[in-house]
Amino acid sequence: MRKTITVILLIISVLVPFMAFDVLPVIGDPQSAPNTHVSDYYIENAIEECNSPNMVTAVIVDYRAFDTMFETTVMFLAGLSVVIILANKPKRRIPAHSSLRRMKDAGGRPIYKTVNKDVMISVIEPVILIYAIYVLFHGEVSLGGGFQAGALIGMTYLLDIMVVKRDRPIFDIPKARAAAIAGFGPLIYALTGIVTILGGGLYLEYNKIPLPIHHAELHSIGITAVEIGVTIGVAGTIITILNALMERISFDDDND
Amino acid sequence: MIENIPVLIVLLPLCSALLCLALTAVSRNLGIFAVKLSCLASFVLSCIQLQMVVTGGTIHYAIGNYAAPYGIEFVIDSLNAVLLVCFSLMGFLTILFAENFGNEKRPMLVGAACAETALLITGILGMTSTGDVFNLYVFLEITSLSAYCLISLGGSRGVVSAYRYMLVGTVAATLYLLGIGVLYSVTGTLNMGDMREILDQGGYDGAMLTAMCFLIPAFGIKMALFPFHGWQPSAYTHAEPGSRPLITGVMGKVPALAMFRFVYCIYGTDFRFVRIGLILLGIFSVFGMLYGSLMAMGQTDIRKILAYSSVAQMGYISLGFAIGTPIALAGAFLHMLGHVFMKGGLFFCTGAIRYKFGTVDINEFGRIYKKMPLTCGLLTAAALSMIGIPPTAGFFSKWYLALGAAGQHEWIYIIILVISSLLNAVYFFRLIEKVFIRQSSELRTRWESEVLELPLTIIIPVVICFIAIFGLGLFNVRIVDILLMTLEGVGL
Repeated sequence: MRKTITVILLIISVLVPFMAFDVLPVIGDPQSAPNTHVSDYYIENAIEECNSPNMVTAVIVDYRAFDTMFETTVMFLAGLSVVIILANKPKRRIPAHSSLRRMKDAGGRPIYKTVNKDVMISVIEPVILIYAIYVLFHGEVSLGGGFQAGALIGMTYLLDIMVVKRDRPIFDIPKARAAAIAGFGPLIYALTGIVTILGGGLYLEYNKIPLPIHHAELHSIGITAVEIGVTIGVAGTIITILNALMERISFDDDND
Repeated sequence: MIENIPVLIVLLPLCSALLCLALTAVSRNLGIFAVKLSCLASFVLSCIQLQMVVTGGTIHYAIGNYAAPYGIEFVIDSLNAVLLVCFSLMGFLTILFAENFGNEKRPMLVGAACAETALLITGILGMTSTGDVFNLYVFLEITSLSAYCLISLGGSRGVVSAYRYMLVGTVAATLYLLGIGVLYSVTGTLNMGDMREILDQGGYDGAMLTAMCFLIPAFGIKMALFPFHGWQPSAYTHAEPGSRPLITGVMGKVPALAMFRFVYCIYGTDFRFVRIGLILLGIFSVFGMLYGSLMAMGQTDIRKILAYSSVAQMGYISLGFAIGTPIALAGAFLHMLGHVFMKGGLFFCTGAIRYKFGTVDINEFGRIYKKMPLTCGLLTAAALSMIGIPPTAGFFSKWYLALGAAGQHEWIYIIILVISSLLNAVYFFRLIEKVFIRQSSELRTRWESEVLELPLTIIIPVVICFIAIFGLGLFNVRIVDILLMTLEGVGL
């Protein structure tokens, strides 16, 4: 009986939108409200007001910068939550499968966690890092930006702990410290806004950054500062989550 | 500098939360101290802001100095300003209270939990201040995520209830996004004021009805209104004890405020189907008030009693929205303010009793008033306020609700209001009987001190909640006057 009701409700909730969504405008209709009201203003003024050739960047980190700040905070919050839920009680590590450990390469050396160590660390990781910096500073003028750069830096760390043995990693960032670093990202973002307040403007009003240069340049500086904050936040979060997942979970208590 | 107060109220807890872990790594109490300081500053600033709003009218704060529909805007009217004072005070008290419940051996975990609580406060304050529907979603996300985490910190049952809440809460967030997506597709704007102007031109009834079908369940789930309350009792019961007053007292109120914003400030009472929405809300509230009270009568765990009673109390608030006259709306918001301190205060009491004696079963509370006079004073005051006995806050909010219902000739609402209050009286007097009359039971003290019954950081919240419950009752005319400055224009 319960199941029947559930199924009927599910079918209704799938069918109703087909009728209800008639109110939506046709896809790509140039005369629809979203394409005529606020978007027009962004298209006409973004380049002049924000000094950013990329209108998407202008909307994300200038017109609606406040939303992006809290989205970055959501990243930090996710990382922090994963750490304190999963790694609350570190007891056991998941051991690698024994057959994997026994495998040897042609020279008789164990292949587990030693694959391509030289190539990875000396060639691929630096390239990824350089690319991350490029994506970060180029995000303001073309595609890219803080989120992608942060993901790339996080990936470098991932590669590093995949190819080097866990007890001797090159960059060892404990999970609590990684979460603290992730917190600094959104903090840089928030402080950029505080600087504009100290310069006499409103929050995140990049024109009022107290530096003696042209206002278009100030927008570029503001956007770059914000993107650096996003990068640090995202990279820190990825490292935090990675660290947390490598610890074993156990919920065998109920101390309320 | 003074014009930046609206954004600083939200930013201070945010910055302290982001710094909290790093500061805890430096010294074990520094992070918590920073969070406390920022929450106190936030409270002081919101008091100044209330003064500014009362004398100078609504504040519009354009972030980045981009004019309203193009940038994000904070709108602080008298309603927001009062609620911000109340919420930031409760946030500060909870942070004070929470430090007694950390695990001494693991300072980083305490710091992390403190950061989560500060982020929850940030989300709540942001949702209250914002005037932009998407910005509201972002703050809703922060509030929900930190709440999931804080609930899951309460042991293994907490993890299960947090998981259930997360599943349901994700559905609510999706429904909210769908709702504002529909509204955006016909108006092309995300600003609340601008959206109201465009919708007022007429011809959007179909889209508005579709959006309303998404938005009412979305906020219903988040505020634990009756048919959507499934996640709530276990989540409130098993949440992390330190932050429980904030989760139970404030978290459900903010979506209710958002629902009010959508129904009355964006849709307006000229909307053709507004009656359907209000009657639906009325049905939900009436059943919620009865169901919550009946379920609460059957429990012995004090946390469960209070959690089910919250379902009923949210029913009172949405009943005010369903009646819709300015007086009823003022009653709903007065009840919201009062309930923050009643329910928060009751959870401060249960936390304090658990801190001292380690029990939550009301059958073991025999004559506990001799051992904890202050806590039992608040317990009694809050219980009387829940029942609605003058001069507490609960009496006046129910009075205004009944007045509003009488004005609209909704007699059935008044009858249900009285029945629900009587049911409240049954289970709260049972609690009071256990505390004062029942044979004293053997309880082992876990905390010894010559002078105080509890640490100072628990006594301060208890005393302030006690004062607030009576203060809101005695000065209700002044508060309702301030609320009516906004509500006069939007009601039926």
